[in-house]
Amino acid sequence: MNTRPTHTIILSPIEDLSTSLLDRISEDLMRVFGFPIEIMRLIDDLAFALDRQRRQYHSTLILEALDRKAPPGALKILGVTRQDLFIPILTHVYGEAQLGGRASIISLNRLKEGLGSGGRVDEYHSRVAKEAVHELGHTFNLRHCKDPGCIMHYCHSAADVDRKSNRLCRYCSTLLEDEIERLMSA
Amino acid sequence: MATAKILIVDDELIMRESLAGWLERDGHQVDKAASGEEALEVLEKTKYDILLLDIKMEGMSGLEVLKQVNESDPDVAVVMITAYGSVSTAIEAMKNGAFDYLMKPFDPNELGLLIEKIIDRQAQDRERLYLKEEYRERTRFESMLGQSKAMQEVFKLIEDVAATDSTVLITGETGTGKELAAKAIHSNSQRCNGPFVAVNCGAFPEHLLESELFGHQKGAFTDAKTSKKGRLELAHGGTLFLDEIGEVSMRMQIDLLRVMEDRVFYRVGGTQPIEADFRVIAATNKDLAQAIRERTFRQDLFYRLNVISLVMPPLRDRKEDIPILAEYFLRRFAWESNKTIDKVSREAMDEMMLYEWPGNVRELENAIERAVVVGKGRTITQENLPIFCPEPRIMAADKSLQEIEKAHILTILEENNWNIKKSASILQIDRSTLYGKIKRYEIQRPD
Repeated sequence: MNTRPTHTIILSPIEDLSTSLLDRISEDLMRVFGFPIEIMRLIDDLAFALDRQRRQYHSTLILEALDRKAPPGALKILGVTRQDLFIPILTHVYGEAQLGGRASIISLNRLKEGLGSGGRVDEYHSRVAKEAVHELGHTFNLRHCKDPGCIMHYCHSAADVDRKSNRLCRYCSTLLEDEIERLMSA
Repeated sequence: MATAKILIVDDELIMRESLAGWLERDGHQVDKAASGEEALEVLEKTKYDILLLDIKMEGMSGLEVLKQVNESDPDVAVVMITAYGSVSTAIEAMKNGAFDYLMKPFDPNELGLLIEKIIDRQAQDRERLYLKEEYRERTRFESMLGQSKAMQEVFKLIEDVAATDSTVLITGETGTGKELAAKAIHSNSQRCNGPFVAVNCGAFPEHLLESELFGHQKGAFTDAKTSKKGRLELAHGGTLFLDEIGEVSMRMQIDLLRVMEDRVFYRVGGTQPIEADFRVIAATNKDLAQAIRERTFRQDLFYRLNVISLVMPPLRDRKEDIPILAEYFLRRFAWESNKTIDKVSREAMDEMMLYEWPGNVRELENAIERAVVVGKGRTITQENLPIFCPEPRIMAADKSLQEIEKAHILTILEENNWNIKKSASILQIDRSTLYGKIKRYEIQRPD
């Protein structure tokens, strides 16, 4: 995919994250969406979104804050946090996005499931990058895809994430191209 | 992923919003209601596949809503949403017809699996209904009739179009004879010795439609025990009629566009490209221009399909054809039922000329069929036409058509305890049409 240099996607770590992980996420976002990636801290305290009873963070509130704090020229924003996220009706979420909107977020909290404590960094980074592309894909108006190999496929577990590829299927690629064309002509 | 039209009913804004956001990412079309009362209002106007209904709400409870929904629209699957500690109420709801229940907060997987299960179940029901309808359709509309200017123009266009091999998009209200027009184009074209293969795109869930159109290889999915040719392959040398094209999912639209551009496709699970030569005729009663604006229909596919546009006129715009159609149906049904009925009384004909026929020719056909069944003498009278109740007829002299129609709809609704499905069936219109009329005429359900 060609780069579209005038628009930027902001990758916004909430906590300190390793450079290698941020690089991996940036690479995959760039490969799939074709826009330059800018790493920018927009929020560093999530206390406003904490539900003390659930001991989890309400992701919808974080999305609103990311959208508010991002520079107006930013095309899309992806937040990354180590905290466990929820939306009120569900027990937990791996991430959330404003469908067709600007902001998205992923939680790293449950992505280490089944990987053990040491090593397997590549697998972990791969999972994170897939979830990053997946959530950001929603901001480009992509819905969940029935193709189990497509990165927009909804995964029931971290192991399912490993099974899907790091690419969009041909349907989702077409829909993404359509959406980007629409955004660029707007 | 199959999608559904879902109504969320919860008096807590945050619950409604978070659930709606989650379901929209799965591609579902979601609406929200903040109370039971609001839900019932929305349900009068719009048809949903699934209702996610909170049990405990201010005002009307979820159980009360469930009761009313069961009466008015038994097809909708109701899932009760309950808080911890009120499972017994949820079980009571299931005894009263709810499909299932979820205890909040629920696991995202649990929600997804339940929705999938409901969609599958409803798809199976729709398929059964389609097969039943398809059987009935074989005996309908043997001939297109009409002396009106509108139909003469249609016949002329069919003749002109048949001579070409261009793609045709037929639009028109339900019951106007879109499939019949497609068959007429086919049988007057150079492809008339080839097959006419019809697919009702709205009758299949996405995964079945894919296999139905493209065929599949043995082992492509769990139930693919043998390889099967799809309708595209079967249409080789003839005409492929894609009915209800407006119901096709965005994914299938991408595939159809590709096929229309290349005339090459693959069976599901297949690796060999298949070439087929067929003409495409598509039909819809949907406003595709509106669907394009709403981004539920691809503009590029629309342009591919709409090379030649054929609009089937509604019966109310060609009322001069009613006598000829009535006579045709009368002869046919009298012959089929071995009855000697050969005339329609002047009064009955006057009534038929006044009526709006929202279900178009199909509704007229049904009315005559019923009249032949209940008729005693040689002549069809007003009394044999159950669509006209006596009261509006007496008042007809000083009432407008709309007033008569409104009164008739109200009578039928009251006689059937506001059961929408049953009333629509008696009125011989589909439920969405009935909902539309209830809204347009502002017919209120008594408290």
